[in-house]
Formats: sequence, structure tokens, C-alpha cells
Amino acid sequence: MRARYGLYAWYVLWGLSASAVDFESEVWTKVASRSCLKCHKAGGDAEDTRFVLLDPAVSKATDWLQQNQATLSRIAKLRKNSQPLMLLKVTDEEDHEGGEVLAKTSSGFRILERFVREGATNLADRNDDSFFAGVTMIDDRRLLRRVTLSLAGRLPTDSEHRQGLIPTMDALMQEDAFYERLLEGFNDIFLMQGVDGAAERILGYRNFGNTRLWYQKVKFEEIADKKERQQAKYALARRYRKSVLHEPYALIEHIVRNDRPFTEIITADYLMVSPYTAKGYGIFEELKDQFKDPEDHMEFIPAKLKQLSLRTGKPDQITPTGYYPHSGLLTTFHYLQRYPTTDTNRNRQRARKYFEHFLGIDVMELAPRVTDAAAVDAKYDVPTMEAADCVVCHKSIDPIAGLFQDYQNPNNDFGPYGPRKEGWFKDMFGPGTRPDELPETDLWRALQWLGQRTAKDPRFAVAMVEHVYYILTGRKPLQPPKDIDDPLFPNRQRAYRAQRKEIERIAKEFAAANFNLKAAFKSWVQSRFYRADGLALQELGPERAIELDDLGLVRLLSPEQLHRKIRAIFGLEWTLVTGQDYYRILYGGIDSKAVTERILEPSGAMGAIQRIMANEVACKTVPADFAKEPGQRRLFPNIEPDALPAEEAKVRDAIVHLHSLILGREDQATDPEVERTFQLFAGIIEDANRQGRFDPRENYFCRAGKEEIRSQDPNYTMRAWRAVVTYLLRQPEFLYE
Amino acid sequence: MNRRDLLKLCGLTGLNLAAPIGLRAETREPEPHEGPFYLVFNASGGWDTTYLMDPKGTDGINRLYQEGDIQTAGNLRYAPIKKHMEKGMSNEDFFGKYGSELLVFNGLDYSVNNHSPCSRYTATGKLDSTTYPTFAALVAACQGPDCPLAFLTFGNYSATGNLVPMARIPYLPTLKKIAQADSPGGNHRYHDDFVLDRIERTLKEQLDTRLAKTQLPRTARAQSTLYAAQLNSRVLKRALPHIGNPPRGRLPQQAEIALSSFKAGICVSANLSIGQFDSHGNNDRDQMKLIPEFLAGIDYAVNRAEQLGIRDQLVVIIQSEMGRTPTYNKGNGKDHWSIGSIMFLGHRIKGNRLLGETDDGQFALPFDPKILKPNQDKGIRIRPEHIHEALRQHAGIDQHEFSQRFPLKVPTAEQLEGFWG
Repeated sequence: MRARYGLYAWYVLWGLSASAVDFESEVWTKVASRSCLKCHKAGGDAEDTRFVLLDPAVSKATDWLQQNQATLSRIAKLRKNSQPLMLLKVTDEEDHEGGEVLAKTSSGFRILERFVREGATNLADRNDDSFFAGVTMIDDRRLLRRVTLSLAGRLPTDSEHRQGLIPTMDALMQEDAFYERLLEGFNDIFLMQGVDGAAERILGYRNFGNTRLWYQKVKFEEIADKKERQQAKYALARRYRKSVLHEPYALIEHIVRNDRPFTEIITADYLMVSPYTAKGYGIFEELKDQFKDPEDHMEFIPAKLKQLSLRTGKPDQITPTGYYPHSGLLTTFHYLQRYPTTDTNRNRQRARKYFEHFLGIDVMELAPRVTDAAAVDAKYDVPTMEAADCVVCHKSIDPIAGLFQDYQNPNNDFGPYGPRKEGWFKDMFGPGTRPDELPETDLWRALQWLGQRTAKDPRFAVAMVEHVYYILTGRKPLQPPKDIDDPLFPNRQRAYRAQRKEIERIAKEFAAANFNLKAAFKSWVQSRFYRADGLALQELGPERAIELDDLGLVRLLSPEQLHRKIRAIFGLEWTLVTGQDYYRILYGGIDSKAVTERILEPSGAMGAIQRIMANEVACKTVPADFAKEPGQRRLFPNIEPDALPAEEAKVRDAIVHLHSLILGREDQATDPEVERTFQLFAGIIEDANRQGRFDPRENYFCRAGKEEIRSQDPNYTMRAWRAVVTYLLRQPEFLYE
Repeated sequence: MNRRDLLKLCGLTGLNLAAPIGLRAETREPEPHEGPFYLVFNASGGWDTTYLMDPKGTDGINRLYQEGDIQTAGNLRYAPIKKHMEKGMSNEDFFGKYGSELLVFNGLDYSVNNHSPCSRYTATGKLDSTTYPTFAALVAACQGPDCPLAFLTFGNYSATGNLVPMARIPYLPTLKKIAQADSPGGNHRYHDDFVLDRIERTLKEQLDTRLAKTQLPRTARAQSTLYAAQLNSRVLKRALPHIGNPPRGRLPQQAEIALSSFKAGICVSANLSIGQFDSHGNNDRDQMKLIPEFLAGIDYAVNRAEQLGIRDQLVVIIQSEMGRTPTYNKGNGKDHWSIGSIMFLGHRIKGNRLLGETDDGQFALPFDPKILKPNQDKGIRIRPEHIHEALRQHAGIDQHEFSQRFPLKVPTAEQLEGFWG
């Protein structure tokens, strides 16, 4: 009896659990990454102790978790006076420079107790196929529609339905529309369309001052009319500016279209130029024969700039090759101008963006709190190199900033190129990628050195796969949950882990495919994370709901996507949210400058735009469609405009067709959704008749100015169809992916 | 997930659900929101508090005035700037006009000094999370979830915690257009009223049917949010009588949109912002241009609220994500400083009060949150979470389920008492 009581007490003492604790979700996520890592890592205050962890934010080791588990397990075995040293340290009962980091009553301490006593398992290593249990996937037909609309802004053809997904994608990813979508997506990430000022100023005055304004010298003397001549000049400037802004995205297109490794976005030893931008750089004459159409401002070819010269012709940059050391986007003037520097910023913004764009790390996401940041500033001559709170981040950021040192010209109009006369700052950690320093001999090509090392960093592939996920879904991947006391923490962690494993799996496929970005698109589209579409469950408890919370594409169409979808389905250019910046921003779009994040959930303002869209599109297209011969109609090929609800079979078939065309639903005529739409159609006519009197003609103001005359609508049926289309256009199946 | 489950989970598990009106089987228009209305003014980039409400004039902290030049308005102190500015509103005029209503807190500790985390921290009260909503979004979600423009933003950090959709109205005339979604120009109608009514009822019926089924949470959420957005958008028409010509100036344009929406009862809060305060070069020139513009914008908003008859319901929060160093750099600029200030005026805020203090070196003095005075021994460092806890209490939302979902975890002993007077 005594023995059994003792065992019971032991269980109580140890939190009613004698089982090993999961390393990743418990020990690492809830304790070590929060309470130990800040100091116990390379560059941290405790880097000289025998307890040093790998920081996943900077470590290139793919097995960092396993290595950290081994390290912590080793430390957990250490004892002092028979007591676990680890527990004594974290509570400061044994001298600990970091003081007390865990109270004995904290959740973290209890986890550490279990870890010390029972060791750890690692659930992450186990297969978690049950994550998708009960989740239904989209069928192939709807998946194909989703993909062609998303990536090419069009509906799939019958032959593509027969070919299937992957052959269709292979062909689709050669279409211009795909590149429009791709570059739009990458601009959401890089935002280079948002460079301040006139676009030609991206080509700095310092190096291209003699050539960048070439368009102003075009006189159009062949145009006699003064006003017309002026318009031609304006048009030329507009084309030039569009061409300049497109240039870095032409590099992305060139890489993807030609199946080149996507690592070239940071390693390409060339840039892309159009006839227009080549004139801006002053290299048109040597390239003009290579253009198919030297007048096409949107034709881009690879080229190399010679080492930079001043406007006087004197060399501004001397390189062993005689050429500008191109390194993909890193050395484009667009990227450098979009993320400019100042004397005090010292390229740190660029370093931050480099981490975010090419390694998928937000160094500012979790800035460590400083007890008194102002006092730290005042106490140290160089806090970023001396104060532990600052060194933690600056030891990673500043070396990257130093690699941009040739571009320390804060005057945007002069161009970003311009090393400091007095040399790079000495009160910063030197240039390199920790722990490696940039060799002096590579200083002239520092960004090439960075780009080439980045391409080999496993985090690059992960970051690119995350970018593709963003382009496809409109949202960033899940972040690890942080509140360890949240009772649903394990469920949030499970969702995060499941998605993270998929990202890592696709990143491996992407790397194995020689970094062909199309491979990443194909992998994602086939992934269950993209195909998840519904639930085959009667009930959904809180834990499972949290796990599935982010699952399913369910993406509100962006202004640009909405425009393309309307064009694809109705053949109508509805430009309210794409033609004017005001409405684009109102409908959640971006201007790449001040407004850089898309709105993902509709406000009432966006709801109003949806109403306007549904009203207008229905008003413009329904009567116009009926006015055509049946064989020419998109919307109503098998019914006449005066058919009444009494012709129920015909009406239902027409509704089935509309559901398929507009919503992508493959309904039977007896489907409840078809029934609901039928009741709407029939009910409106019934209501109209109940009014006793109505105008026998369809209204037409939305088509004012068009040749079409006002249609006769004696039975109110055309207006009822207009209402049906309005109703369908307001539904999630149309407004969301 | 069915409808009952969804509602339950929203409360129990912190599932994010925007504008839950869609779950209520409603097709009627929501009631207008009658206040309070929250205007959050952001001096984006980091203002120089020593040229505003925390003047120093010593040890070379300010080149444009000396300690003896510092002005007062009641209990408040401010920097003299009138002779250094060209246009806008001077401190002299601003504090003279609003001093009796202003609550100033000096010595706010942002803990870090980078724009991104500081903006997040200032706006949400939470430094180490990217998921927390800004106060403006939180109060909008709590007090006006049915408002079509519950939370308006014109820039700056604007996270919503997925509690409420953020709305952007970049230009006043666009509000007029969307307020007439079913009747462009007010002269034409796309559909007869009975047709529109049918469409709305059918959409409602469809939503009810779908939410009764078990669905992926994201799908259910999108359906309800979309329905609410479209339904609630109908009341945008209430703004029509209040839409005038757009005023000139960055902040007045933003304020006009916000105040028209407040007056129409379709908006709870608005995040207003002007940038370029990040004066690493030529600090004094930039701050002398921007501070008067900023104050003039606030003045416009308060005056306009008075004209619209809603000033007594207006709560104005005036903030920036950081301060600027007490020393000039080599480019005559000032760099980031983790100590700053915040000001409030309006509904249920007692003015003419200066709380918190910085010393001669512009370091924050510990502050006793109970007696509201600096106290070197018993004081604490007042940080954004303390201010936000007080704001939540002032708005009466500190116990709201949404606030509980994003707890600030300020110990009772550290909570500011009597802060609003």
C-alpha cells in the first residue's frame, strides 16, 4: 500500500505524467528557443560556455533540431550535488549569468523537469499522415479550373480537361498571362514597382546622367500638329518608364520561362534590357541587332554593363573583368533604389530585406526587448558591437550590410552606386556571411560573393517555395505558435509542423529540379494544402478546428485577379478596380509604395465594390448576350430571353450552365443550389407580376453610349436573368479562389 | 463546421471571425454607431518630442531654442517653434488652443529603437507578436462589428488580428461612389427594389444553409465575412449627406473621410498617418516642417468634428513609434531613441495634465502607476502595454472577449490608475 501511495505521489509531483516529453513541440519550442537561445548560441553572451545551441534563424544545418536535442540531452545529464544542473541554472540556484530565466511555477520549468527526468521523444520525426483525416480534396476538374484561372486568368479548354493537370500546367507556364501573374506576385514581395520618383531616375545621374534622359531628345519632328507631337512625347516617356520598372521582373521571367535555375535571381551575371532601357544605359548601339523589334519597349534580352563610369567618362568603378559585377536582383539599381540607404542606416535596411526576400527570415519580427534601450545607447560607444542586447542581431545583419558597401550613396537621383571615400564603417561587424568574412580580393564583387553563397544556402530554396505559396494562396506560411500556456498550443503547433514539413518537402523537390521554379508551382498545386476543399465530418471540435484553421485555399481575389476572371468568363473588361489607383487600393490592392500589403478580408467598402461589380457586369453582359445568336452566346446558349419559369427544365438547364461557367460548380438540375437560383428567378417574375405594372423594356443606362438599343422585356425575364447573374457574382465561389 | 459550432468556437478557441453579423440571420440594416469615435494620429518615422511636448533646450539637445525659451500652457510645457516654421500650426497655437484638454505622457519606453517593431508595439501594445490587433482595430471590432468601415486605415501599422476587416478609402469621392452601389449617381437603379430584396434574401438563405453544414473553418469564415461585407455596405449611403469636397493637406483629407464616416455611424476608428518624421539628416528642418503639418491636421479634425456635432464623442490619440536621440549626428540629424511621448484628448479625458517625465538626458524616469508620479524607487518603466491596457479600460473593452483573446498581461500592480482623470 505504501509503495502504491508513493507511486501516486510521484505522479502528482511530476505532473501526472511519467512519459518522455516531445522535444520539438515542448522542450525546444516552449523553453529552449525562448529562454536559452538568446545567450546560448554563437554570438550570444554564453557562446563561450559548453552549452551552445544552433540558431535556426541563421544556421545552415538542416539537422539543427537534432543537434540541439543532442546538446540539450547532454546538458540535462549534468548533475551538481545529485541535482540536475540544468534546473539549478535556469532558476539561478546555481550561479547563472543570465539570472533566473524560469520560475519554478512556470510551464517552462515543468517541461524542463520532465525532460531532465524522462528524456525526450521527437514527434516531428514521425509520420503525421492523419493530419488530413476527414478533409476532402477538390476534384480534378475544379482543380484545373482553379489553376488556369489563378495562373493564366482563363478557363481551361476541353482538351486540357482531357490532358490533365501537369501537361496543362507545362503548357500554361509558357503563356504570357502566366508571366503577368508571376511578376505581379513577385512584385507583391519585392515591391520594386514602388521606387520613388520618375522611373528613369533609377538609372543614376552619376553613371547614366548623359544617357538616361534620351527620350527627351526625341523631337518627333515628323508630326506636324503640336499637340499631337506633345502627346507622342508623353507616350514615349510612359513607355520608357514602364520598361524601366519592368526590367528586374524581366529577369525573373527570363529565368522561369527558359527553365533556368531560380538561383539566378541572386547570381545572374547579367541584367535584362529592352531597347528603351539599353538607350538609358548607353548600350543600345552595341545591342540593337539582337532585338527582334528595336521599337518594342517590352522586349528584353540579357546584357552586361561595363564597369561603371562617371558622366565625364572617367572610371567610377574598376573591376578585374572590366564589367559591372552583376548578381541578379541584388545588383539591380531597382532593388537598391527601392531599399535605399542613409549615412546612419548603413545598408541595414538592405540587409534586412536580403534576409526576408532570399532566406525567408524576418529579423525584425521578434526584436528582443531591452531593459533600457536608451541607457544602452548611452552607455556604449558602439552599442551594436558592444551591448549584448544589440550584438545578438547586429552580428548577423551588419556583415550583410557591409557587403552592400559599394552602394552607400544616399542620394537617390545620383544612383545607389558610390562607395564611401573614407572606406566602410569600422564601427560595424565586418562584411561577410557569418562566420565567414568577405575576402579582400572579392571586395569588388561583394554582392556576387553573397549571391553565390546564398544560392547554396538551404534556406534559399525554402524561402522561394514560401514565395510560391504566397503567390498561389495570397498569404504567408504559418508562423510557429508562441503562447505556450495556450491550451490549444499543441494543435497550433501540429498545424504549423504539418505545413512546415510540406514546405521543406517541396523545397527539396525544387532544389532537386535544378531550382526550376515551375517545379515548385507544380508541387504546390498537387499538394494537399492547395487541394483541401471541404470536410467529411459531422462535428468539428475546438482542437481539430484549430488544426484545420488555415486549411483550404479560400483566397479573396485581388483587384487584378477579379478583372481577369471577369474577362475570362464574360469577355468583358471591367476596370473599376484596376484602372484607377484609388479603387485598386480601396479593393485591397497595393501601390507598392505606401500601401504594400493586400487586404485579405473584405470590408464594407469592398462589399460595396462587389455590389457595383455584380450589378454592372450583369447589366452589361446579360442583354448583350441574349442579343446574339444562340450559338454565339456565352451565358445563355440554350434558352431564349422570354422563357418563363413554366419552362422549368429549360430554365434549370440554363442555371446549371451559369453555375458551371460563373461559379465552377458542376451541379445537377435537381441540386439544392440550382433550386435556390431557380426560385430566385421565378420569384422575381412572380413579384414583378404582383406589382401589376412594370416597364416592358429592360433598362439600359449601364450600356449608355453603346450601339445596343434598349431591349424589350415584356415578361420581366431578362431582368430576372440579370438578377440571377448579379446573385451569382456576389457569391464566394466567384469572388474567392 | 456548422453554424452552431462556428459560433461556439469563435468564443472558446480564439478562431478568427470577422464581422460576425453574417451569422445572425439578419438581412436588415445595422444600427448606426453613435460613438465614441477613435482617431489615432501617427507621426510616422519617429517625432522629436523635444520639439513638441517634452522640451529640453539643454546640453545641445535642441539647437533652435534654449531652456529658458520653453513655453507653458497650464500644466503643460512645450517647445517654442513658431518662429522656425513656415506653415501649419505651431506648438504655441496648438497648446494654447487645446492645452486644457490635453493629456500628455512623457517618458514612454518603447524598449527597442527600430521602426518595424516600434510601430507594431506602439500600435498594439505587444512587442513580441505579429498577430495582435492595433488598438484602433480592436476597439472597432468590439464596438462596431456591423459597421461597414468599422476600422479605417490610412497607413502605419494596421494589423487587425483578423477581428475586423480593415478598410481603406484613399480619396473622398470614392466614398460617394461606393455609397451608391445599387444606384449609380443616385439617378439610376440597376434593379427594382423588390429584385434587390429577393437577391438579398436568397443570399441570406444560401449562407444559412451552408453554415449549417460542417465546413473547413476558413471556408465558413469567408462565407460569413463576405456576406457581412456586402450586407453592411448598404448603409454606406448614410455617408452621402456628409461628403463634401476633399480638403487640402494629407491629414485633413484622411480626417475628412474618417469624420464623414463617423458622422454617418458607419465607422468606429481610424488610423491616420503622415510619414517622413525619420529625420536622420537635418532634424530641425524636417521636424519644423512636419510637426506643424501634423498639429494642423489634428486641429482640422477636431474643428470638423465640432462642425459635425460629434466632437464630444471623439477620442484622439496622438503618437509616434519612437523618439529621437538627445544628440545630433554628423548630418545634423537625430537617430532613433527608444524613449518618447504620447498625447490624448477628447471624450472622458481630463486635460491640462502632464504625466511621466524624462530627465535632462532624455531618459525615462520610473513612474508610479498608482499615484501617477515619477518615483525613482517604486516606479516602473511605462511601456506601450501599460498605455494600451489603460486605453482598453477607457473604452470599456478590457473584459471583452476579443481583448481577452489578445491579453496584454499587465499585472494589476502595474496598471495605470486614474490615468484618464
